[in-house]
Amino acid sequence: MLKIEHLTKNYGEKKAVDDLSLHILPGEIFGFIGHNGAGKSTTIKSAVGILKFDEGTITICGKNIKDDPVACKKDLAYIPDNPDLYEFMSGIKYLNFIADIFAIPADVRQEKIRKYADLFELTQDLGQPVSAYSHGMKQKLAVISAWLHDPKLIVMDEPFVGLDPKASHLLKEMMREHCDKGGAIFFSTHVLEVAEKLCDKVAIIKQGKLVKEGTMEEVKGDDSLEEVFLELEAE
Amino acid sequence: MLRILVKKQLAEVFKSYFYDAKKNRMRSKLAIAGWIVFFLLIMVGMLGGAFTALSLNMCWGLSQAGLGWMYFLLMGGIAVVLGAFGSVFNTYAGLYLPKDNDLLLSLPIPVRTIITARLTNVWLMGTLYVTVVLLPAIIVYWIITGITAQKVICGIILYLVVTFIVLLLSCLLGWTVAKISMRLKNRSFITVLVSLLFIGGYYFFYFKANDLIRDIILNAEVYGEKLKGAAYGLYLFGRIGEGDFTAAAIFAAATAALCLVAWRILSRSFLNIATSTGKTEHVRYVEKTAREKSVFSALLSKEFGRFTSSANYMLNCGLGVLLVPAVGVLLLIKGRGICEAVGEAISGRPDCAAVLVCAALCMLASMNDMVVPSVSLEGKSLWIPQSLPVEPGKILHAKIAVQLILTGIPLLFAAVCGAIVVPASAAVKVMLFVMPLVYVLFSAVCGMFVGIRMPLLNWTNEVAPIKQSGAVAIILYGSWGVIIAMAGLYLLIGYRIGAVIYMAIWSILLAAIAFVLLRWLDTRGVEAFSSL
Repeated sequence: MLKIEHLTKNYGEKKAVDDLSLHILPGEIFGFIGHNGAGKSTTIKSAVGILKFDEGTITICGKNIKDDPVACKKDLAYIPDNPDLYEFMSGIKYLNFIADIFAIPADVRQEKIRKYADLFELTQDLGQPVSAYSHGMKQKLAVISAWLHDPKLIVMDEPFVGLDPKASHLLKEMMREHCDKGGAIFFSTHVLEVAEKLCDKVAIIKQGKLVKEGTMEEVKGDDSLEEVFLELEAE
Repeated sequence: MLRILVKKQLAEVFKSYFYDAKKNRMRSKLAIAGWIVFFLLIMVGMLGGAFTALSLNMCWGLSQAGLGWMYFLLMGGIAVVLGAFGSVFNTYAGLYLPKDNDLLLSLPIPVRTIITARLTNVWLMGTLYVTVVLLPAIIVYWIITGITAQKVICGIILYLVVTFIVLLLSCLLGWTVAKISMRLKNRSFITVLVSLLFIGGYYFFYFKANDLIRDIILNAEVYGEKLKGAAYGLYLFGRIGEGDFTAAAIFAAATAALCLVAWRILSRSFLNIATSTGKTEHVRYVEKTAREKSVFSALLSKEFGRFTSSANYMLNCGLGVLLVPAVGVLLLIKGRGICEAVGEAISGRPDCAAVLVCAALCMLASMNDMVVPSVSLEGKSLWIPQSLPVEPGKILHAKIAVQLILTGIPLLFAAVCGAIVVPASAAVKVMLFVMPLVYVLFSAVCGMFVGIRMPLLNWTNEVAPIKQSGAVAIILYGSWGVIIAMAGLYLLIGYRIGAVIYMAIWSILLAAIAFVLLRWLDTRGVEAFSSL
């Protein structure tokens, strides 16, 4: 589904990501962890085509993000770490804007908006301008917009930040359901307990380099993910 | 603390002069010097030059007639009007709407320091405009009447008094708009309405000003006596420039007292206004089937939504939407007389009225430059268009289309009005449509080109990309340059080949440049947008 091979990204002299390779298969929830500034967001932004990278290849559903970015983006949805949405639009206008871009038929989008807005208890606020939303409400709106077009791959940067416990639980269920239907999810998080319970596979990045990757069992063995992560950080 | 805050604000205003956002690094010393020279050329060379000429024209006669005070009253009045007009639209946004409100209020900074820093910024911006009028006026007076220590001290006091009067006027409108906004739902449109009333008043004054100044100069002594009797305060104000210490002391004290009152009012209401979300009536969501749109229509709607959501954006980049048709109507009413007068005054240049009307329409069209800050205004939401499955070229075209629609349609109407009243052949009348419309295309494409080359994405106040960016300055003054060249060259040599051929050559030239830039936008421009 998502194949990152030998990805390298420099910011001037600094190597933000150094020869990183990852392979996310259909049906997998893939967690991406690392300390602040390790290169998680850079990798994610490169994967979704909003950041140019220096070396390596990224393919989504077999299509190269550099050669055919539009086709790749049709298959994915991205939720950034800080949901800066269009504040001049109302919630419903934003969702309709996204639906128009993905050419979602009116009846389909109406049904999906109703379903997810009800689930996240956002229906009553859809008429409000996004500027009046709290951080959590914006995050919910970003999640709904990501699920609107049935993407094959969903890429999320710290998706649980700002969500209330109920919404977090709901999002985890939606993630599992999405992967059970053959989709894939690649997300970064600092909440290691969540990663441990939710992810099928996990990768740990340190100073731009991949230091460990595999199924949850392979990575943590008999320890907790937190112990493994702290050990790797200390090395 | 105050110094740090003011420095931070100024760094944001002049950021593009020092920092290359495209390359994500500081500009070279040479580039910084180049930008500063460009800024000085515009402010000192163009504006300052014009007001130096005006000062020279007025100072001699009035000072010789013993009416130096009237000279300073007139020049001071012009400085106040220009300064207030230049900064008044930023005051509301600059004082209350910056995105770092929450951050600053959460820090151990007294509210009065925050408001003082923001007022300092407003004062500095107003002072820029005041300087280009008053500095030449004062220097010209010193040169003509002789310089003394008393005149120098009073000249400085006059200059400072005027800058603070501008600040007071800007604050008054900013505060009024803020108070109104707290009670209204459609804030943007109300702000635009209030501002348009102000602009209407400004232009009324502007169009009357020439006659008024000429009349005052011709009857200076009569008006002088009348003013002294009826408005002694104005006489005293003018006396400051002549070196009257008493007048200077009275005005300095009165201005300081008013500033203190304004500062106290603003400081007291700041927290309430800055943290207010306005009238927060909950908009009840009623589910209804949405009308499907094509990708381009969705992008276009989004751009229109962005434009109409911000009073600042509409006022600073879209005044032409109203002024172009208004001038069309004016042409219908007074155009024939104006054209006849122009034709008689410049009798050796056939069809010069048509060319000048064409230039005037282009000049008005250049008041619309909403495409220039459109990329910068994406700001932190830039990830949305970048991560969506849309060709970046389509996004840029949608931004250009907004300007084409909002300028082209009003211009078409004004061109029809122009064609009705301009006494010219059918071919010239056709060119009266063609050239302005080609110019609209040229200006929109140029705006996109410069906007994408000089983006300003990390702003905390949207006024920065809308009004204070280098891209906007280049397009604004560049457009004026092109139009003045077009009109000037016709009067100099262009008339020899006839208006039709002359305007056709310009149309082809502008269209060719637009075509080349459009090609650039579709190739390298798209890359530049994707890499932001």
